[in-house]
Amino acid sequence: MISFFLAKRYLLASRRDAQVGVVALAAFLGLALGVAALVVSLALLAGFQTHVRSRLLAETPHLLVTPAGRDAFHDVDRIGTKLAAVPGVVSVSPIVRGRVWVSMGRDAAPAEIVGREKTKGLVLDVLQARPLGIVPGETVTLVSSRSRLSPLGPVPIVSTLKVTGLAPSATGRRAAEASLPLDEARRLFALGPDGATGYEVFLKDPSRAEAGAAAVIAALGPSVTLTTWEEQNRALVLALRLERFVLFAAVFLIVIVAGLNLAATSAVLAATRARDAAVLSVLGASPKTVEKVFRTAGGCVGMAGTLAGVILGAAVAVLLEKFGLVPLPAQLYGMSHAPFHVDPLDVCAVATLSILWAFVVASVPARTAARQPAVEALRGA
Amino acid sequence: MAPEAAPLLVAESLAKGFGSGDARVEVFRGVSLTVAGGDLLAITGPSGSGKSTLLHLFAGLETPDAGRVVLDGVDWAVLAPAPRAAVRGASVGFVFQFHHLLPELTAEENVALPLFLAGRKEEDGRREAREVLDRVGLLGRATAFPRTLSGGERQRVAIARAVVRRPRLLLCDEPTGSLDATHAARVFELLAEVAKERAGAAIVVTHDPEWARRCATIKLLGEEGLSDVI
Ligand SMILES: Nc1ncnc2c1ncn2[C@@H]1O[C@H](COP(=O)(O)OP(=O)(O)OP(=O)(O)O)[C@@H](O)[C@H]1O
Ligand SMILES: [Mg+2]
Repeated sequence: MISFFLAKRYLLASRRDAQVGVVALAAFLGLALGVAALVVSLALLAGFQTHVRSRLLAETPHLLVTPAGRDAFHDVDRIGTKLAAVPGVVSVSPIVRGRVWVSMGRDAAPAEIVGREKTKGLVLDVLQARPLGIVPGETVTLVSSRSRLSPLGPVPIVSTLKVTGLAPSATGRRAAEASLPLDEARRLFALGPDGATGYEVFLKDPSRAEAGAAAVIAALGPSVTLTTWEEQNRALVLALRLERFVLFAAVFLIVIVAGLNLAATSAVLAATRARDAAVLSVLGASPKTVEKVFRTAGGCVGMAGTLAGVILGAAVAVLLEKFGLVPLPAQLYGMSHAPFHVDPLDVCAVATLSILWAFVVASVPARTAARQPAVEALRGA
Repeated sequence: MAPEAAPLLVAESLAKGFGSGDARVEVFRGVSLTVAGGDLLAITGPSGSGKSTLLHLFAGLETPDAGRVVLDGVDWAVLAPAPRAAVRGASVGFVFQFHHLLPELTAEENVALPLFLAGRKEEDGRREAREVLDRVGLLGRATAFPRTLSGGERQRVAIARAVVRRPRLLLCDEPTGSLDATHAARVFELLAEVAKERAGAAIVVTHDPEWARRCATIKLLGEEGLSDVI
């Protein structure tokens, strides 16, 4: 570890040595700021993504179980009981989903509708209500796509309900849907007291939805189709992942540029220590060893800069989060300030790449220095 | 020289010059010599006659224009840079005309540097370095940095650094230039001792008549660029 020993001495001495000192300081600060910027950006992104994810997980069932090859489950209770018995499942609720005509007066419009146990009254999405001019408290008629037999032949099933509320429009990742109590939905779609078109399953650990799906398949067999929350929100999940990658790459460019300063540090050091390099080679150091000394010196500046940047960035992110220093319009984002979440994995990736880059950059001038003929530098005092 | 002992260093009709065209300077031509283990050699000659250059050739730091240098049976010319450095570190101790200590290292660390480069543990390296510093009378200055040492002290540290790995070939470029007679004598004793220890040899560029009297002397004549071996 002679290279580290010498590099350390050179860097400590550079406090007195203006040439090397200034360049090393510039490289250190540049890299520290670049890394800090990267850590803060990633923390902001992770904060937003955590927020979006938790909202998704609250809104979307972690697993959606639908019948394969038929319209609805009829032997409901058995399916429900079996689902509830699958390990990792926290809650199971039957739903009935279908399409209806919503009509008021002479106007009618098709609507997606879903019945859930906990829903009270009829709630329309604002997007569904607006074209028909519906406001809460009015009575509408829902005409089902199913029909029942009457003495006059098949007639559509109809239900007349009072609109109890309007829901804010869906986030765009799925179609607008109205909701109504499960029993009412069962009546509309001609299902028995135990019928359901699907089950919404919530898991203890939503990040292991795939494993949960496998467990359900194992318990219920191939008669059901499973959709995980990630599949239901595929476009959004993919966008989040891509966003992370793109941001990382874009901000890492700053680190790359800042890291180039290390080439200057390493080059100035090698130029001012050409005689030492020659002495080392006379004392038995191979060109590789000499190269290592200068590369280590540059690399150490890179490590110090990276470390300082990580600490600075993490500290800034934690403070911004703790004191909510970046306010946001709450009604637009559903939160009052920008969330920062420092992900240790992100930090490790940043630090590793930055340090690697530092060594790569520093090794170029170090190699050149190590190839200089020794005697040239040794002539003269 | 005992007939069965292989020569330590063989130089065959060495020639060296610098520059090209009109600026060409021929330093010397046709220098041949054989050095066996136990030999002590002095090189004298006027300034610019090529004494330092000759030592550089012996140490494999420079390549001759003609002729070859063979150390312990190995021609420097056949060695790639890395093994060349390894051989030099293990077998050659070099004292520069201008001490060339590393300013960021203490005297002790400067002396231990060849050992560190050879992969010795820091503790062992430092201990051995102190032993050698003791032999040149500088144990008390072990933790001093070169800039705080006098010219003669620097020179002695440089000598300690050259001998710390007990090289078989010691090449010294005016090692006693800035030393008084007493210290010069001690340095010569040390060089002679180290040379004897591993049946090595010392080649010393010097103007010291005492040293010149004690050993075989090569005299470089300079000017005409020719040399004469006595
Ligand atoms: N790299 C070089 N380029 C050009 N000329 C050189 C080079 N190295 C040595 N010389 C020339 O070769 C000659 C011999 O130099 P060298 O240093 O060997 O002399 P020296 O005998 O050691 O002199 P001194 O007693 O002053 O140290 C000098 O004329 C010097 O100018
Ligand atoms: Mg000289």
